[in-house]
Amino acid sequence: MDIFEKLEVLGAAAKYDVSCASSGSKREKHFGIGSTFSAGICHSWTDDGRCISLLKVLFTNECIFDCAYCINRRSNDIKRATFTPQEVAELTINFYKRNYIEGLFLSSAIKNSPDWTMEMLFRTVWLLRYKYQFNGYIHVKAIPYASLDLIRKTGFLADRMSVNIELPSEKSLRLLCPNKTKESILKPMEFITKVAEEEKNFVSAGQSTQMIIGATDDSDYKIINLSRHLYKKFKLKRVYYSAYTPVNHDPRILKVDSPPLLREHRLYQADWLIRVYNFSADELFKSKDENLDLEVDPKVMWALRNLDRFPIEVNRASYEELIRVPGIGIKSARRIIKNRIFHSLDFEDLKKMGVVLKRAKYFITCNGKTFERYLIDLPPEKIKQKLIDKNSLQRPQQLSFFDREVFTSVITGEI
Amino acid sequence: MYKIFLYDGTFEGFMCAAFHIISEGIDKDRAIIVSKDEYQPMFIDSVREIQNDFKTFLEMRKGIIEKADSNVFKKIYYAFLSDTKDKEGYILRYLFLLLTHGKKIKYLYSNDIVNAVEKMAKNVSREIGKYMGLMRFCDTDEGFLYAKFEPKNDIIKPIAYFFKNRLNEFCWVVHDVKRNKIAIYDKKRVQFLTCSNLKLEATQQDEMFQMLWKTYFKAMAIEERKNLKLQQQNMPKRYWKYLVEKN
Ligand code: SF4
Repeated sequence: MDIFEKLEVLGAAAKYDVSCASSGSKREKHFGIGSTFSAGICHSWTDDGRCISLLKVLFTNECIFDCAYCINRRSNDIKRATFTPQEVAELTINFYKRNYIEGLFLSSAIKNSPDWTMEMLFRTVWLLRYKYQFNGYIHVKAIPYASLDLIRKTGFLADRMSVNIELPSEKSLRLLCPNKTKESILKPMEFITKVAEEEKNFVSAGQSTQMIIGATDDSDYKIINLSRHLYKKFKLKRVYYSAYTPVNHDPRILKVDSPPLLREHRLYQADWLIRVYNFSADELFKSKDENLDLEVDPKVMWALRNLDRFPIEVNRASYEELIRVPGIGIKSARRIIKNRIFHSLDFEDLKKMGVVLKRAKYFITCNGKTFERYLIDLPPEKIKQKLIDKNSLQRPQQLSFFDREVFTSVITGEI
Repeated sequence: MYKIFLYDGTFEGFMCAAFHIISEGIDKDRAIIVSKDEYQPMFIDSVREIQNDFKTFLEMRKGIIEKADSNVFKKIYYAFLSDTKDKEGYILRYLFLLLTHGKKIKYLYSNDIVNAVEKMAKNVSREIGKYMGLMRFCDTDEGFLYAKFEPKNDIIKPIAYFFKNRLNEFCWVVHDVKRNKIAIYDKKRVQFLTCSNLKLEATQQDEMFQMLWKTYFKAMAIEERKNLKLQQQNMPKRYWKYLVEKN
């Protein structure tokens, strides 16, 4: 099989992997080719609108395991391919110097044995760092059941490592991944966290994980709660959510006609509220079986349930109160606080600062006045009717939405 | 009668012209700064050619950073790279506002001049950000990596300094085809030149990597999620001309 065919097979096999972010590396650079850019750079956008920043490939798609949701599972009759470490390293270097990519995202199915696979990943990264003196970004998967020593060796050469949690509950994991156990995932995760705390230059851009959404009946509450736990316990940088794309017909998987992209999008928004805006999972959900509202974003959902806290007075509210107003983000909140020192703000001023009044106007006053008279005492159902996000029902935003947001605000924000 | 100040087209030269206008107390509404190449003589104007003096430039820079901060200075620089007509006029007025308002200039949202400069700078900064990712280099027989582009704004300098850091182990040439400007890096420093007939061709081996990249690009698209509108929103068509995967 020639290199073109391998790249086609092993690129396509990696396309469902979500995390392609290349930001936040703090590895020390000594000499050699390239650099990592702390904000990450998008190099292209696929036909489905997701950004490409890394050469994202599987080392091999031959697998000894048989996970129900996975295209590469042993029982599927598909074209198989395996790279050599040399091939991956050369592709990476040559793509990098032409400015096609920021670096490498190397994942793999499990061929021969977990240790064999991990060893190949290690060798690839080693070649890149030592033979080619490559300094760009490298994200490697840690393979479940691989020896911790191999994971450790690889982690010193990588910017980021991740073990995929795959499913939001142990029950679902048992159902869909008969070969994997909770421990086989959490043990390496915990190990990486521990070494990263103790050693310098070990996965310096941190650890992330990925979870499949919609293949099982787990609720959004469970998903978000698990994420919160992962962020806390393992200090993960990111949890990625991946709307399940139906690739296999398997009775164990919930029937999905098309990937639940909007649900994925809402989960990212909720995740963001928790990480950046200090919401708690319990504030966003009423019960364990609850799902996020698909019609409005989770901040609006929360605000409508807590209308007694509103409206808040823009000229007096604290930063914490401001960022909880739908339509007011971190940037707008900061601007409001800085500007009201000079003069008190009215709705015109807010518009000029980039506050999205379409949502915010139901929840704020400026100098005691509401945006329009009738807005006082509108019942929540009426507000919701007006805020239903029609665009996103038709065309949900995709995947790396928030990375892009971080990315653009770092590069183009307040210069 | 207007007082015309001619400068050499560079940012440093522009700052020197602005320095003269400010320090000599000339009425900003009677002063026009225009690049030598673009000036069309009119006999009713008084014309002065301002020399580009690096010391004066440094003094201006220091002044701006002291009055406001280095972000504001960078904003002015980016605005200067904009292809907006009469950017000199806007920036000159901005500098006068800076003199009276200092740091507070950032918050004068409703001021048209501040708004215009802010917009120009943002536009430039966004274009730089996009091109950091969307430049495509190829290997040439001459041993250089070579990249062509046609940016809307005159951003070859910041782009070149970005790649000086990024592709530090290679010799390369970046070529602004529209303006006939090139940046050359020889593993030590970057030089900027104008050059009208530069022809560098990709090697055969390079063409193989171009094909590999196209193969990969295609393989990455998820059919079930196809969304060409979103793709174009992120990667507008005007960037496609030299994009390997789109040709
Ligand atoms: S181990 Fe990984 S590659 Fe193999 S079947 Fe399971 S998910 Fe797929």
